Amino acid sequence: MIRIHDLTHIYPAPRRQAPRVALSHFDLNVGAGEFCTLSGPNGSGKSTLFRILCGLLLPSAGSVIIGGHDLVRAPHMARRIMGVVFQSPAVDKQLSVSENLTIHAALYNGLEGSVGQRMAEALEWTELKNRLHQRVETLSGGLARQLELAKCLLTRPQILLLDEPTTGLDPASRRNFLDVLKTLQRERGMTVLMTTHIFSEAEEADRVVIMKNGELLACDSPQRLRNRMGREMVVVVPDDPEAMVRALTQDMGMQPLRFRDEVRLEGMGPEESLPLLEAVLSRYRPEIRSIAIKQAALEDVFIHMTGGGAKDAEETS
Amino acid sequence: MTVIRAILALARREFIRFIRQPQRVVGSIGQPVLFWLFLGTGFTGSFRPPEMEGVSYLEFFYPGVLVMMLLFSSIFSSITVIEDRDQGFLQGVLVAPVPRFTIVFGKVLGGTLIAMTQAVLFLMLLPFLGLSISVGGVAMILLMLLLTAFGFTALGFLCAWSMKSTAGFHAIMMVFLMPLWLLSGALFPIQHVPGWLHGVMAANPVSYALVLLRLPFYHTVPQILNDPDFGVALGVVVLWVCVCLGLALIRVERRERGVQRT
Repeated sequence: MIRIHDLTHIYPAPRRQAPRVALSHFDLNVGAGEFCTLSGPNGSGKSTLFRILCGLLLPSAGSVIIGGHDLVRAPHMARRIMGVVFQSPAVDKQLSVSENLTIHAALYNGLEGSVGQRMAEALEWTELKNRLHQRVETLSGGLARQLELAKCLLTRPQILLLDEPTTGLDPASRRNFLDVLKTLQRERGMTVLMTTHIFSEAEEADRVVIMKNGELLACDSPQRLRNRMGREMVVVVPDDPEAMVRALTQDMGMQPLRFRDEVRLEGMGPEESLPLLEAVLSRYRPEIRSIAIKQAALEDVFIHMTGGGAKDAEETS
Repeated sequence: MTVIRAILALARREFIRFIRQPQRVVGSIGQPVLFWLFLGTGFTGSFRPPEMEGVSYLEFFYPGVLVMMLLFSSIFSSITVIEDRDQGFLQGVLVAPVPRFTIVFGKVLGGTLIAMTQAVLFLMLLPFLGLSISVGGVAMILLMLLLTAFGFTALGFLCAWSMKSTAGFHAIMMVFLMPLWLLSGALFPIQHVPGWLHGVMAANPVSYALVLLRLPFYHTVPQILNDPDFGVALGVVVLWVCVCLGLALIRVERRERGVQRT
């Protein structure tokens, strides 16, 4: 449904600086009806990719085919089958729920079925049905997000692009939004591509794409990504992480990974981690503040692959 | 058809937003009325230009205030261009399957509609001037206002499109848009100014809009249509509107694009 081939994007150089390569020979295929999430540290090229996919940015090279339509040559056709939920709200706060929907319908004119019927269908799952005449500025954050999604559904899109759609929502609203999204995606057979920083959101995807420095690092199901790391890991918090990494490498022949003040021993099978924990503990007890066995989560895969992506994120933000 | 529906929907949105902000409505009507009354009354005693006997400043300034209303309302609608970008509404329109000129026409039409509403309200004061203007004359005034409003909103859109903040736009407004009005013959007649200023004013398209607007106040429609000045002024204003609209259309079509590897 979405075919990205050899996509490269280079931002023009600001004064006295080198041009910045945001995407480099990026390839990705998202099949019809697939739920795909896109993660990466800040500055990894996610937003650039997203803006190219919505047609806001023209790439330096490469092609994007959406539902059989070339996004660069026939953006009009591609946009008809696409719905986009932006990170920042794209509704008019001073207008009511129904006024916003009416404008959106007018922008996507010539669709089958009456606007009223579409509106009912798009709002069916929301809590907005009795708030049609309420102004958007009076809605809660969660309801405003529901409106963003409902607005996109109005056009019965085959493809839904979402850019960190749950930013700013409390955990309950976030859960609720994702549950709804997942249900709608399954019911209506939509292809979903969503960027996210929150790995609990990615856990439910069919496929997780991890990118860094404008390149694709991994693209697999959450399960298989976790399996790549082994099922468990031993996480040591020592007084001096540098020294601990050296000691574990030299004395025990391990390949530890440093992440902030933690030292991680990854790729353990279920039988291996407990003996390893005991061995490390007996050998370095005085230098260790805490030690634990952790089930590998998607977030750990991300940290492993991007080499402490969260640290990068802190630096760039 | 699709495009027209989209343009009308966007224009309607502009208008709804306008009337939902009562302060904006009151301000946009109140300010010109006050300007007109205070400046008009204040200058009437000392305003004695040659060849204009019997014309009070209140009367002279009236068409100028009309143009000022159009200018201010276009400035307001241009500011909404920046706000739309800032608050995110614009991104939703940009990814919709409508050509980008829809945005230009939606904004310009909406802005013009707002400007005309204000102007029509101000025209209610016309009978107090004591001039005898025929129905045809009033229609002509409305038509000329419409044309000028188009020009102003298109110009405002052009200035605002690439602006990142409303603060930057205020600078443009003060050093570029306001002088267009100040030097249009709205405040003082163009005939008796020093040569350099006369040159500047003659190069200002808004001066011609004001010529168009003043004519129906003192002449009948057939007289105006036979006046060569009218033809020239109309030509200049139409050209101004077309150039602004054209540039705005070209400007919105320009999309950010990646550079090639060197």
